[in-house]
Amino acid sequence: MSGNQSRSAAYVEATDRMTFEEDSKTHFRVCRFITENGVKLGMRSVPMATACVLYHRFFQSASLQVYEPYLVAMSAIYLAGKVEEQHLRTRDIINVCHRHFHPGSEPLELDGKFWEFRDSIVQCELLILRQLNFQVTFEHPHKYLLHYLLSVRSLMNRHAWSRTPIAETALAVLKDSYHGSLCVRHKPQHLALTSLYIALQTYGVELPRGEREWWQVVCSDISKAQIEAILSELLQLYDMEAKCT
Amino acid sequence: MERGLLRQAVFYHGETLLNLLKCEHNENPDFRGVFDDLPHAEPQRVEEESSPILEQFISQACAVMPPLEQFMEVSFDERRELFFRDVEPGDLVIGKVNSVREYGLFVTLLCAAGALERDIQDLEIKALCPVRHVPSTGNHDDPLSYYQVGDLIRAGVKSVERYQEKLTISLRSSALPSELQEVKLGVITKEDLPLHHTTETYEKLLEHSLGICNPLNVDYLMAKLGISDTQTPSLMRGLQSHCFREEDFAITIRKKQSASWALNVKAGVAHFKSGHHVEAMNEYNKALEIDINNVEALVARGALYATKGGLVKAISDFELALETCPTHRNAKKYFCQTLVERGRQLEREEKLVTAEGLYRKALTIDDMHQEAKEALEKLNIRIQKSLKLKELEAAKEQEKANSTETSAEKLRKILKEEKRMKKKRKSSTSSSSSSSSDLSSSSDDGHSSRKKSKKRKHKHRRSSRGSKKRRRRDSASSNKMGKDNDDWFPAPAITSASFINQKQSINKLLSYEEPTQSKKQEDSNGETSRSKRAVEDSDDESSRSKSRNSGSYGEPVKRNIRSESVGEPDRRESISDDGGGELAKIRNRQEGRFEEPIGGPSHKIRFETSFDGNGDFRERRWVKSTSENAKNRRDSSSSNQSESSYKADPHWKEPSFSRARNLSESEQGRNEKRDGMERGVRNQSDGGK
Repeated sequence: MSGNQSRSAAYVEATDRMTFEEDSKTHFRVCRFITENGVKLGMRSVPMATACVLYHRFFQSASLQVYEPYLVAMSAIYLAGKVEEQHLRTRDIINVCHRHFHPGSEPLELDGKFWEFRDSIVQCELLILRQLNFQVTFEHPHKYLLHYLLSVRSLMNRHAWSRTPIAETALAVLKDSYHGSLCVRHKPQHLALTSLYIALQTYGVELPRGEREWWQVVCSDISKAQIEAILSELLQLYDMEAKCT
Repeated sequence: MERGLLRQAVFYHGETLLNLLKCEHNENPDFRGVFDDLPHAEPQRVEEESSPILEQFISQACAVMPPLEQFMEVSFDERRELFFRDVEPGDLVIGKVNSVREYGLFVTLLCAAGALERDIQDLEIKALCPVRHVPSTGNHDDPLSYYQVGDLIRAGVKSVERYQEKLTISLRSSALPSELQEVKLGVITKEDLPLHHTTETYEKLLEHSLGICNPLNVDYLMAKLGISDTQTPSLMRGLQSHCFREEDFAITIRKKQSASWALNVKAGVAHFKSGHHVEAMNEYNKALEIDINNVEALVARGALYATKGGLVKAISDFELALETCPTHRNAKKYFCQTLVERGRQLEREEKLVTAEGLYRKALTIDDMHQEAKEALEKLNIRIQKSLKLKELEAAKEQEKANSTETSAEKLRKILKEEKRMKKKRKSSTSSSSSSSSDLSSSSDDGHSSRKKSKKRKHKHRRSSRGSKKRRRRDSASSNKMGKDNDDWFPAPAITSASFINQKQSINKLLSYEEPTQSKKQEDSNGETSRSKRAVEDSDDESSRSKSRNSGSYGEPVKRNIRSESVGEPDRRESISDDGGGELAKIRNRQEGRFEEPIGGPSHKIRFETSFDGNGDFRERRWVKSTSENAKNRRDSSSSNQSESSYKADPHWKEPSFSRARNLSESEQGRNEKRDGMERGVRNQSDGGK
């Protein structure tokens, strides 16, 4: 029977892993949903980041079986808009999300279904707040990244800087990192640093070396290994895109 | 950047904040846009010292960090090499004066101010500022003597020789690029030095800086780096910009939705048809709450307002609807109807000009709108009539005013008689003298003189009337004038001699004025038709004008005035602004013009009044045009007339004052009008009669 037990333990492990993978895919899809609709709603980067973080944090403690992830996502968008002072109307959120699921459809009529959507979003918002103990303000890597970009810019020759789209790449990498739960597992400075590191590495930019590397200066408590680890996680997200979409 | 808030802050703190903001935000495109509007005003708080810390706090958009090199401890050589690789002409540098030679200043660079952030303090980089790049400071003969060893200098890099590691700097602002032109070059104080050495780490420095806490620093830095925040790039395949379709965006969907949500409009229309106006209005308002620019709701509401009588609100609703959708058939239809209705309303209130404007507007929207056309024509007719009526009234009032006489006037009459006798003896062939006599007689302002000359003029006119049926050219008329006036008007004793010289100019003016006025005639149907009618309707007037032509300056002009319904508003205003004297003249002319049909004696009166002063003749024209203008501006016409008539009476009692005033005013006006009139005359004569 121990064989059976061990087999069942392994089985459980396997199923767990599978569930975990499935969940990651779901989370990926939902975060893609958030980012896409964020663009359509005209959200700025920071509120969009807040929405993703809210979503990830919510499902750290809640179960996907119990709560509908897309509804949580819509409420996260709504709540993030409020937190980061870019208020979005529920009407717009409902319109955009409805169209996401029913592409090419006519805008919703002002009927019972619409009001039900509205009610759901508002209720879920309260749910998220309670789940997160009302801690909804986060420090995002964006401001750190931007300051690092300025500092690195000063190190470079100005022509080299204008030739290579380092800033755009770093910010793109940062934005894409929200598809996974990196944002809740790492410090914002580290994430910013890694994004910039990736950007510089991509274009083969050589920065002057002193006693210390630029990233050591910028963030003293990080090691090369940590950067590498975050880097590999980030790049895995790009692989996931192929699997999920 | 909030423009209003920024302005308020700058105004409060004054110049120091403005300078700080300039340095801090020089690269911020938003700031540059707002900067131009900022007032360079004195700070409000002059008593207390404005806190520099506070100002630094306000101006800090993001954390300004010292160069990274500093923290990285890059090697001496490498730093030096990199500096020379990257420094370019136009960069700002700060250094200390090392030595002063005849050929220039030697400066040891301390740091780079501006875009190039490098740690060069210990690099011992020396730069030369040659004499020709040191601007003279005015007081000193030798510009170099202004600088001493140890001074802190801010300069612009002029040229770089990388391999020889030589740097030339310049203190002239021409060395800097355009965006740095305001930066002060030359000696600076310690406070102007950018950030200096710190023992803290980069991290700590960043954490503790104020700028990092600014919630808007992300937006600011994004803008500074040139990246749009709503269209941030992504490396994911699915998030590229081409994957997004315009119609999926929130704004587009919302618009479509609003249009379809305005179902309330349909319900409202149903209410309207069944007569429940209140409910209908409620429905429309609800629909407009959802979608403020809903065309259907606006049109329906406009129709409702129009039915209930709130025409102004209806008009504004229709206008809004047509802005959103200019091809809405119903909107146009209802709009025209409402405009016409409103025009009728205004007509009843005597606001004829506004009414006309509305009819025209209706016609621009719908060319074929029959009602509008008819209404416009009727209105034009009505305007003509009212114009004439007013002229008649004005004339009557003038007559009444003229009939009063004071003892002073009687005395003047006697004096004039004497002058006239003297004048008669002279055989004046020159038109100037005759005109002056005309003028003097008119300027006398005496009724007696007028009356006497009236009789003579009357005969004259009758004779001339027959001969001249058409308007004459300048010379002809002026000559005629001269001859005619010769016998009738004595030399001016009381009036200034300037009249004598001015007759020529007056003639010119008069003749010139005709074409001017014709030129100014607007090409509007109503006006020309009006003018035509005005001309045709009163044969008396035309004959009067003819006779006037023969005998006096102004016949052609007068006719022109009448035919040119527009006239010159500005001139008219100048006339009315001139004061009572002008108005008196205007009065006189008006009276004179209308008196003709009444009878012979009135001729003379008119004649004299027309020559009241130098500018009189011209003004007569103006008067006519004035009155025409007044009538054209239907709203104010009655008030103008009444005003002038009101003023005429008191002024009439003081003819001497008015005369003097008239003279000066006419002289003033003449110069301005002369050119226009000259041009006008030629055109008019070319235009043919």
